[in-house]
This record gives sequence, structure tokens and C-alpha cells, in this order.
Amino acid sequence: MSTLVKIKIDEKEYEVPRGRYLLAICQENGIPIPTLCHHESVEPWGGCRLCVVEFRKKRWDSWWTELATACLYPAEDGLCVWTRSEKVMKARRTILDLLLARCPGSEVITKIAAEHGVYQTSFAKREGEDNCILCGLCTRVCDRVGARAIATALRGALKEVSTPFGEPPPDCLGCLSCAHVCPTHTIGHTEADGKRTVWGRTFELVRCSGCGAASVTREQVEYAVRTKNLSPEYFVKCDACKRRESAATFAGLLFDERKGGEGPVGPTGSGPSHE
Amino acid sequence: MSNVLIVAPDRCIDCKKCELACSLHHAGSLDPDRGRIKVLNRGVEKGMPVVCLHCDEAACLIVCPVGAISRCDETDAVVLDETRCVRCKACLAACPFGNITEDRVDGRVLKCDLCEGAPMCAVFCPSGALVTRSGPRPLRSAP
Ligand code: FES
Repeated sequence: MSTLVKIKIDEKEYEVPRGRYLLAICQENGIPIPTLCHHESVEPWGGCRLCVVEFRKKRWDSWWTELATACLYPAEDGLCVWTRSEKVMKARRTILDLLLARCPGSEVITKIAAEHGVYQTSFAKREGEDNCILCGLCTRVCDRVGARAIATALRGALKEVSTPFGEPPPDCLGCLSCAHVCPTHTIGHTEADGKRTVWGRTFELVRCSGCGAASVTREQVEYAVRTKNLSPEYFVKCDACKRRESAATFAGLLFDERKGGEGPVGPTGSGPSHE
Repeated sequence: MSNVLIVAPDRCIDCKKCELACSLHHAGSLDPDRGRIKVLNRGVEKGMPVVCLHCDEAACLIVCPVGAISRCDETDAVVLDETRCVRCKACLAACPFGNITEDRVDGRVLKCDLCEGAPMCAVFCPSGALVTRSGPRPLRSAP
């Protein structure tokens, strides 16, 4: 892995570790490549195809140029890559044209398409209110988190991201990782009165025993305690209350015996801006 | 490289410059809420800075489901890779000291990273309550 190879990107030479993915190399060197289905927390997948680049390499005894997804293509010696050639831009425009037909209502897709000169789709627009592009990033992240609550279901035109049998997912932790990574922000969720709803299931949030603030679901806490062997004590209070407690503990250790107490440790001033 | 941040609360004058320096360095705005260090008050002009302890067995590192939190080889700090973070906030809930917070402006998870070895809070601390030193972390248990 650590052997360095010479490659060329847009006519400039780079020395990179063999096997490193082209997308990573481009990002490190400030070469812009549009992506939708890429996230650092999971292995590359090549679902959206938007990161296509053109490359030239020797096959048999002649040189071939081909298109490949940068997020999945490993660097090898002598590779010549073009990230904005006519062929690349044409492919990206076609992909965006198709994506625009799939989710005409998506702001993200509309914006990237406009940047590539695609202002309207030339295909029939899909009807449906979601903006899912079926890149599978949510399902991959869910697997990585360990919940494995969602997956793609069915085939062809009917393919969709779904919970088992379309029911509220029993394995979901309600952590909202899927919603955060979704490139088109199409995974709906709500949060009110200490309850969070996602994928049709409602989760109870763990309230701080001191102030009632909540940030994670009971399922998340149970999962962390069960699989990571952490003390459930850690999750009883919110970050602000824990901070106050640890400050008081340190103050007690440092000052109490010496100066006979310094008064209560608490937030300066009033109002929610300081805690 | 100064990779050990020493907190001397008896010198803290509760001026909160560290909070401002931190938010300016990391978030680009002077907003103490977005800082990764917090100063709690313990009397007139007396503060208690609370900041990540970079624990040996860090709960945040253990709980992160996607491996976004790791120990930096160079600084020995427990750092969060924001490109990997999926914002499940498990680390925020797990930190027993409450030293991980959420940025209320953009929802990012805020965690001290010792500024890659040059903590800004210490640079701006006027009273010597936050100072840096280089070398191995004290009290580091043997591997
Ligand atoms: S980012 Fe490479 S295919 Fe989606």
C-alpha cells in the first residue's frame, strides 16, 4: 500500500500511494469532484456515478481512455486522469439530467445540475414526493452504525429504501445518522416533547435528570451500554449539567480544604447563552 | 509542539477569552457558545475552565459507532474527524465530563482537538490559567 506511484491528474504530476482512491487524491489536492453518495465513514460504493473521471491506461498494446468513478478507482503507476474533460462533463450532464428527472423537487440536485449547465430534465419527471436518488448511503451508514434497520427493497423501477416490510423498523436506534448523511436531505424526521420520529417509528429521548434536556434516544443509550460496555451513569445527565458537576468536583478538590469554599460553581450571568 | 494543555483554575479570572479564541479559531466567529472550552463561574472574577481531558480510555472514542473519534499520533489528543461524523451525538451523551457539545448554529459536534498541538485558548489566556507544554501526556497509563 505504501509504495508511491506517479500519476497525472489534469496534466499535473502527483506522487501518491498505490491503491489510494482517485477521489481522495483529488480532495487532498484541492481538485473539485462532485459527489453525492460518498461519505468518509463508509467504504466507497459508486452509487451516484457523479464523480466520473476519464483516464488513460495501456491495455494490451494500445492506449485506451475510459470513464470510471473516482471514488472507487485506485491509483496505479502511470495513470493519466482528466477530471473536467469534454467526455467527463458530458457524462456528468447525462447523470444529472437523469437525477433531475428522478427528483425534480430536490434543491441539491437542481443546484449541482445548474452548475453543470443542466437547467431542465429532458426525460419524463418522476412523480412522487421524496427526493431519494437510491444511492444507498443511508443504508450503508446504518449498517456501519450497527443497527442495520433499513435496506433497499424491490428491483428496477420499484426499487426503494425501506424498512423491513415497510413497518416501523424494530432495529432502528433513532440516531438520525441516515438523515444526516442523505445527500438530498429526504429522510424526514421530527422532534418534539422529548420524542423523535423517523421511519414511522417514535422514540423516547433520554431526558437529563437535572434539567430535562435531551439529545439521544433510549435505544441509543441501551445500545452503547450493551455493545460498548460503558457505564449507564454516563448518560443520566446532559452535557451542560455534567460540565457543571465536573467543575464543582474539581473546584472542591482544588480549593475547598485550602480556602474553606469559594461558593457555588455555576454559569456566569443568566440566560441560555451561557451554561 | 505544545501538546499538553495545563489548566490552573486558581489563576482563572473568568474573562472567557479562551471561549472566544476557540470559537474564532474553529468556527470563524466570536461566539462563546461555539467554543469547545467553557468557563464556569465560581465567584467574582473567579472561573473554572472546563475542557476535554483527552482521557486514556475516552468514552467518546469508545462509543463512536463510525470510528470518527481517534487518538492523534502526534499530539496524543482525542480528535474528531468531522468528515466521518454522522452526528448521532452518542459521544456528546457519553462524555462523563460534558466536554463535547453541539454547535447550535450548524449542528456540528464540538470537541477539543488541542488545535493540532498549538491550543489557541492558551495563546489568548491573559492570566496564565491555561498554559501549554510539550512532551508526553502526564499520567498516561502504560500501554
Ligand atoms: S461519489 Fe462516486 S459514485 Fe457517488
